[in-house]
Amino acid sequence: MTVRSVDRPLVEQLPQAGRRNRRPLAGLLQSAVTPRVILIGMCFLYLVPFYWMATTALKDNPELNIYPPTLWPLAPNPGNFISAIRYIPFPQFFINSVILTAGTAIGAGISNPLIAYGFARIKWPGRDFVFAIVMATIFVPFPVLILGLFDVFTKLGWIDTFLPLIIPAFFGNPFYIFLMRQFLLQLPVEISDSARIDGARELQIFWHIILPLAKPAVAVVIIFAAVAAWNEFLLPLIYLQDESRYPLAIGLQFFRSQHNVQYNLLMAASTLVVLPVLALFLGFQKFFIEGVSVGAVKG
Amino acid sequence: MRSFSGRGWTASLICLSVVVAACAQGGGSSGPPLAGCKSGTTLATFWTSHTPPDSDSLKHVVDTYNGQSSVGCVKMVQVPGSETDVTKLMTAVRGGSGPDVYMLDRFTVAERAAAGVLTDLTKYGAGNLSSKYVDFAWKEATFQGKPYALPLDTDVRALWYRKDLLKAAGVDITPLDPANGPVTIDTVRTMANKVNHQDASGAYDVIGFVPWVDQGWHYTWGFDFGGSFFDSGSCKVTPTDPKIVQAFTTMFGDWAKALGPEKAQTWVSSFLPPNNPPQQWPFLTGKTAFIITGDWPLNWVKQYKPDLQYGVTYIPIPKTGDTPSTWAGGWSLVIPTGAKHADAGYDFMKYLAGPDGMKTYVTETQHLPTWKSLGSDASLYQGDHTFFATKLLPVAKSRPPIPVGAFYWDQLSTAQDAVVRGSATADKALADVATNTNAKLQQFCPLK
Amino acid sequence: MIAVPRLRLDKKDRQSLLVALPFVGPWVIGFLAFTAYPIYYSFTISFTRYSGFGDATNIGFTNYEHMYHDVLFWKSMYNTLYYVALAVPVGLVIAIALGLAMNQKVREVAIYRAAIYAPSILPIYALTFIFIVLLNPRFGVLNYAIVTLGGPSINWLGDPAWTKVSVVILAQLGAGGPALIFLAAIRGIPSELYESAALDGAGAIRRFYHITLPLLTPVILYDLILGLILGLQIFTPAYVLTQGGAGAGAGQYVAGPDNSLMFYVLYLYKTAFQFTDMGYASALATVLFLVSVVLALAIMRTSRSWVHYEVT
Repeated sequence: MTVRSVDRPLVEQLPQAGRRNRRPLAGLLQSAVTPRVILIGMCFLYLVPFYWMATTALKDNPELNIYPPTLWPLAPNPGNFISAIRYIPFPQFFINSVILTAGTAIGAGISNPLIAYGFARIKWPGRDFVFAIVMATIFVPFPVLILGLFDVFTKLGWIDTFLPLIIPAFFGNPFYIFLMRQFLLQLPVEISDSARIDGARELQIFWHIILPLAKPAVAVVIIFAAVAAWNEFLLPLIYLQDESRYPLAIGLQFFRSQHNVQYNLLMAASTLVVLPVLALFLGFQKFFIEGVSVGAVKG
Repeated sequence: MRSFSGRGWTASLICLSVVVAACAQGGGSSGPPLAGCKSGTTLATFWTSHTPPDSDSLKHVVDTYNGQSSVGCVKMVQVPGSETDVTKLMTAVRGGSGPDVYMLDRFTVAERAAAGVLTDLTKYGAGNLSSKYVDFAWKEATFQGKPYALPLDTDVRALWYRKDLLKAAGVDITPLDPANGPVTIDTVRTMANKVNHQDASGAYDVIGFVPWVDQGWHYTWGFDFGGSFFDSGSCKVTPTDPKIVQAFTTMFGDWAKALGPEKAQTWVSSFLPPNNPPQQWPFLTGKTAFIITGDWPLNWVKQYKPDLQYGVTYIPIPKTGDTPSTWAGGWSLVIPTGAKHADAGYDFMKYLAGPDGMKTYVTETQHLPTWKSLGSDASLYQGDHTFFATKLLPVAKSRPPIPVGAFYWDQLSTAQDAVVRGSATADKALADVATNTNAKLQQFCPLK
Repeated sequence: MIAVPRLRLDKKDRQSLLVALPFVGPWVIGFLAFTAYPIYYSFTISFTRYSGFGDATNIGFTNYEHMYHDVLFWKSMYNTLYYVALAVPVGLVIAIALGLAMNQKVREVAIYRAAIYAPSILPIYALTFIFIVLLNPRFGVLNYAIVTLGGPSINWLGDPAWTKVSVVILAQLGAGGPALIFLAAIRGIPSELYESAALDGAGAIRRFYHITLPLLTPVILYDLILGLILGLQIFTPAYVLTQGGAGAGAGQYVAGPDNSLMFYVLYLYKTAFQFTDMGYASALATVLFLVSVVLALAIMRTSRSWVHYEVT
């Protein structure tokens, strides 16, 4: 019997120079400098769109006339953020986005691990066949479903409520089911078997043993579901009608009219849309990466 | 081990759903008519995809209507959408939750009527209003001889020119003064070529005139060359009309070849990329001396570059003596199928698309009216807007109101692109348009 | 092969079904209501002429026959497969590379992770606006870098040869998402494996190929399938990038120069909601569904030979 430890804190102590490496300087270079250079380079590439968004958000109208565009606002105008909030009913849209996102994330966080467990860790007749159907549903292009779904939601009386956007999340999403299943398959069978011998019921095993082990995957599912819901464009467009229920993703459209775009205001509002998610992500990522604290027994 | 039963799971799931559902349904609205309405009026919803400043003006009209009407009480809702993209309307109408009045791109009325999205307005007596509107607008509002919409505003295209750039290139700009009538395409070409400028790398930083950008559409030049896009007798689209072929060859194929198609397209991608903000419209930034565009950039000039030295004239004509032409688009009001308060909705439509509502709307938005008597009301227009209303609107043509209008438009655009890039001749490209479009059109024939 | 379930169930089978039901049950309900019924609905109207309103006229296989002669159908299919063939491998390599980078042991790694993930949370609507500026042939950052390095100036969105590459690049700005999955998987690999390999004298590259990569294969399979599906259904970037008319006018394209951005779902969407031809749109959808299933089954079948669920 070996004890498997996957316990690796997020911030690992930098290796003590000289302890493992014969050449202290080269070791330091390898462990501390090179990764940073690479990471900073990558981050630079990924931050360009952000930089552009944030700086454009600060530019005044006349400055948008300048070609080629200025790299740094000549006279930064933070007032654009206020104008942007006033241009659309920002607080209302924001609250709507939060409700939609939270509802969807909760639904996804509950349903997908549960369903994936049923496919990954319980043997039942027809399982592989049913799982093939789950997989097949991934391939259904959404436009195919639009009209039929509208029929369903109309019959349920859900049109112009948040329900069509939230409730389906409680019934699983094939992508997340597949993702969770891939993770659950990797956990040794023996941990469930030994619990079964102890007389635990399947839901207990799921809740007390498997779910804690699968936390990182659950966190990934929640993050993905939340970000997708936060940015979802087509669904609210179709199902919501009253402006007072629009989320931000749709609200951004109002910065563009038939013949005009409030470019700087659009960017200011987009910046405001992104910031809370970014902050959440910074806080949340610790949970799904640092949260891996497992001591499982493998026979 | 703490026990956790299946029932517990289900219970918490239901609890959560209820909480979420409660949140989701919170903020429900409607019920009795809104504040600002008279009592006893019927609540009607009005959807528009317009955004400020146009939607602000619509709101003014709605408020005025609500204050005085004893029939309807209108709630205006801004919905996302665009000229041809009516996903939201389609799905809502299907779901039985559509609006009572919708603002629809007039050129798609026939198409939506054919699809069954719109209510026939005959029973409201809309037919009696036919003589009140300018002809092309009324024609667009009907399908198979029945009225399906009330026309609202319109817009027309013109040739804009930069006086400063042309003068700096040594061009005498007197012929461009609209008082001297329309200029010929050859004249414009000669002037434009003097303005062309390439940078050190050989890329254009200024092109005198790119006739296929902004509003330089297939329809613009096809009409300008006297072409006809549809033959109602045979119920066939006629993009292969020799005059249209000629327009494509002259304005797209040959013009692009003279500039160098790739270099010209790089200029377009550089200075007129998709979603370009109006502040960087190349006519404002001085990257082109001529452009075909509508009347709406008058607002951009006012807002972003009030000291711009520019002029507006007729779209250049193929040869001296030709009559100038342009084409007009615009919006209209419709009642979608299944509207619950269609009567109140129509009452509001009649107001907004009538002389009072339309006057407020076009004055505030600087759009052009379709109500005949407003067209001649000079007090509505200032500056160059007068030229659009008084000189261009009377010679305006409109796109054929056919049930495959959006498809035809896409097909023509594809052909235009192919001819500009030199990947197909005008003949070949337009023949494809005819084949594809007529195949789709056939099912709706004959058209009245 | 997928085994079709036996119809006769013994007691043990029934019991195991009962155990599985609370887990799989929600999916079954959701599947019936939100997928099966709508598919059935759309499959039936693929044999009709139907605007979405009023009555549908039964026209048999006419929609499918029309497809065979429809130039845009073939063009959009070609564009989409071309995009998938380009985007999926590129996306996979970049996601793994980012996942490895995000796993570097530096103190402030959380910040780097957030930065790399950041573009994934930008509303696509705003992102495409920004992206168009970055790809400007004269003033864009990308061409500036290429020309500085001695390369040619590329007309990214105006030259049909480059438009799809542009969308692939845009998609890579969202690679932070898949990279997170790889990161989670990499962190799930027991460190003992690396330690013992290091003791055996395996270098970083060997450790990557012999430990990391094999253990990532389940996630790679996931990413391949995900990439394939999202690729086949690519819509929003093309929809936003090609919208002409708004703002200060744009190039006169329907879907990019030479319709090079006319992707399958964009065509389907236009057919359904702009041309209101629901019958034909449904037929298009059915075909896409079949193509997707065939491609995915192909991947799943080969996966058995290269996906490892445990270290061997």
